[in-house]
Amino acid sequence: MATDENKNSNLHNEDYEYDTLTNDRLIKGHNYDGIRELDNALPPWWVWLFYITIAFAIIYSIRLFVFNADDLVQAKEFNKEMADYHAKHAKSDNADANFTVALLTDDASLAEGEKTWVSICAACHLKDGGGLVGPNMTDDYWIHGNTVDDLYKVVTDGVIEKGMLSYKQQLSDKQRLEVVSYILEKLHGTTPANPKAPQGDKY
Amino acid sequence: MELQKFTYDNKLSKLFLYATVTWGAIGLLVGLTAAFELIFPSWNAGLPWLTFSRIRPLHTNAAIFAFVGNAIFLAVYYSTPRLLKTPMYSKLLGNIHFWGWQLIIVAAAITLPLGFTQSKEYAELEWPIDIAVALVWVVFGINLIGTLIKRRIKHIYVAIWFYIATWVTVAVLYITNNMALPVSAMKSYSVYAGVQDALVQWWYGHNAVAFFLTTPFLGLMYYFIPKASNRPVYSYKLSIIHFWALIFLYIWAGPHHLLYSALPDWAQALGVVFSIMLLAPSWGGMINGLLTLRGAWDKVREDPILKMFVVGVTAYGMSTFEGPMLSLKTVNALSHFTDWTIAHVHIGTLGWNGMLTFGMIYWLMPRLFNTKLYSVKMANIHFWLATTGMLFFSIPLYFAGFTQSLMWKEFTDAGALAYPNFLDTVTQILPMYAMRAFGGSLYYIGFILFIVNVWKTAAAGKFVRYEEDSAPSLEKAPSHGHENWHRRLEGMPVKFTVAALIVILIGGMVEIIPMILVKSNVPTISAVQPYTPLELEGRDIYVREGCYLCHSQQIRPFRSEVERYGEYSKAGESVYDHPFQFGSKRTGPDLAREGVKTLPNYKPNSWHYNHMLDPQSLNPESVMPPYPWIIHNDLDVSTLASKIKTMQTLGVPYPEGYADGQAMKDLEKQASEIAQNLKDAGIDVSSKKEIIALIAYMQRLGTDIYKDGNPEQYSSK
Repeated sequence: MATDENKNSNLHNEDYEYDTLTNDRLIKGHNYDGIRELDNALPPWWVWLFYITIAFAIIYSIRLFVFNADDLVQAKEFNKEMADYHAKHAKSDNADANFTVALLTDDASLAEGEKTWVSICAACHLKDGGGLVGPNMTDDYWIHGNTVDDLYKVVTDGVIEKGMLSYKQQLSDKQRLEVVSYILEKLHGTTPANPKAPQGDKY
Repeated sequence: MELQKFTYDNKLSKLFLYATVTWGAIGLLVGLTAAFELIFPSWNAGLPWLTFSRIRPLHTNAAIFAFVGNAIFLAVYYSTPRLLKTPMYSKLLGNIHFWGWQLIIVAAAITLPLGFTQSKEYAELEWPIDIAVALVWVVFGINLIGTLIKRRIKHIYVAIWFYIATWVTVAVLYITNNMALPVSAMKSYSVYAGVQDALVQWWYGHNAVAFFLTTPFLGLMYYFIPKASNRPVYSYKLSIIHFWALIFLYIWAGPHHLLYSALPDWAQALGVVFSIMLLAPSWGGMINGLLTLRGAWDKVREDPILKMFVVGVTAYGMSTFEGPMLSLKTVNALSHFTDWTIAHVHIGTLGWNGMLTFGMIYWLMPRLFNTKLYSVKMANIHFWLATTGMLFFSIPLYFAGFTQSLMWKEFTDAGALAYPNFLDTVTQILPMYAMRAFGGSLYYIGFILFIVNVWKTAAAGKFVRYEEDSAPSLEKAPSHGHENWHRRLEGMPVKFTVAALIVILIGGMVEIIPMILVKSNVPTISAVQPYTPLELEGRDIYVREGCYLCHSQQIRPFRSEVERYGEYSKAGESVYDHPFQFGSKRTGPDLAREGVKTLPNYKPNSWHYNHMLDPQSLNPESVMPPYPWIIHNDLDVSTLASKIKTMQTLGVPYPEGYADGQAMKDLEKQASEIAQNLKDAGIDVSSKKEIIALIAYMQRLGTDIYKDGNPEQYSSK
């Protein structure tokens, strides 16, 4: 250790020696397997950092426990997020009063239909429509009919006993029509990788 | 002054050193395998015990308790006798400690891949192994405190303070969190349920980080950095303040793992504010480590050992800055359940624990074997591989975390989820998973160089088993008249231990006791009923396979989650969940409401059957591994009665005498209904297979509060 020699010790308290490299005070008697300790004070910025975090904790606690602040009470936060959403989208909910079930053929609707297909229907009917849990949608065999109205009814009400769910709650009228149109316009007639055996009647 | 002669025995140091290197090699390799399985899900080769969800707990347990654990014991067994000028108290206890710990690790390495698990993170080991851990820990404690009593140095050094805090706190944490009732020889149910179990678990989980990965390594730092740099510790005052502040504050911070969960606001808030207050005490350790190197920076440029210490301590500073930030609700809303957390912990483990361990062992090898390190150049290459490997590991995972979280939360202009298909958010981040695996590989190559260097150094030198030293006896040690209270406490190690114990008990008691005793913390929901016997068996399969490691069961109160998964999770819903299954990471979607037929995630029974058998047949891009054995295995119902009875003991209201007969009848009835339903869908499967039970459990999830179609009635207004 570079600590034993200390020419300036007479200037200071007998309890200290000096570190020759930094000139900081070493505490006499603190020697652990040759490890010495300096008597440096806590860095002021560190002390302030500590005070600031303690102040944060106090303010945070008062805001939550005393004032029930809107941004700290979990239920209030959630209710506000939902209320904001409903306020913003209130109008559009009743916008489709003149909705009718008729095949859509425009690219935008079919693209939307594909999105729904991939995110929901593909889980059972596969992305390419070949069928696995649900029937093959690409062949000419249909269990519940092959018209837009037939398919729309299946998607809307489901066929619960066979595992097909009702999507009345999850998908809007428009979304259901889009995906049905996608099936009839795009999927039907294609050749999937592993087509499921035909089910239902040939149309 | 008369000097007493004594001898240090380096045998246990050597053994712990070899164990550290060996288990490190295995634990890191398991982690690397898991990283590759996330990109190539078929890497499990159809083997249950090689599947991601079985080996992920093996990786975490091996990294924490085997690699870091043995490194801790190496540091303690080497430095404590030298700091106290006495040999360790008992060679016998030391040997029991060493061999007992290695046997526990072997038991963990066998049982975890076989699916014996309590499903509580870093506390997965089943009850017989837990008892062994507790016993070995007591042996370690007796040996440590015995050494303190026999010491020849009056005052205990800061490194020892941290060892003491480690010992008392880990004992309290481990025993409290692992309280469970055995069902059979290798199966138990946590005595806590649902949100209470979650609180106890994350009080433990967070403080496993604090008192297993942090405090013993601060002790290690306080010994090996001054020794390796030959410099005095920067500030004794800082040591005192940051030690007590750290151990007092840390124990409160656990609830930050449960922000925006069903945990009450008051408990979440304690997690937030105490995590924020931890920043300065943590950085106190970093400052004292780095500033100890003042005057030695020229050496740092050349010496790979000091370089590793500097990067390790800097990584500690980074992750202890990030930790409080992640505890802020706004940040946590984004980070939780993503790879951000994985990146964060690996800065801590690869950086802080890894680098300090490597530096310590490179420093010890020449001293234990009385020779020079085989290759300083190789150690330098290891340093660079480890540093760049850590960055290549973490930075892509940070991006993966932000990216996926933002995709989960993104809405279209019409207010619908922009990415309703969860899988889209997974395929988006797969390239980042590949980069993470590359970073992990770099780190591992560095580790191989480390093994070679240790091996060659040991081969070139001769092991120095005994080292002579001398010191005056404790009674004759010079004492200063004017000692302050802390200096006096440093001279009384048993009182010091008691003081540390009191300080660490406060936070845990204030959080856990009211959570368990005050009823309003978990409002009762009468619609929530116990699991049927078949569902309970299915749940145990879910636990065995480690489904919770990739699928959460906790829907947070955000519109983005409610739209995707359904009504947010309530505390009253998991009151029969011994143990809880909230999960901490969503590599796949949340399953809290998997069984609710009116929600987007619902799938028919036949879908689950096909999905377990071959997930890629339904979703070609899925990274879920196949679980064909669940299809083929017969369900083992031999412990059903014991399971029901254990649940009754824990307060789950099954009818009296239900376990004796009726439970089995109900199980068989429900199983044949599901088998019939699958048959109707064209799948012919026996009702006695495990898949039937697992489907029963999955279809039950989250359904109770949807029974009358009005789940919103349980939300606070």
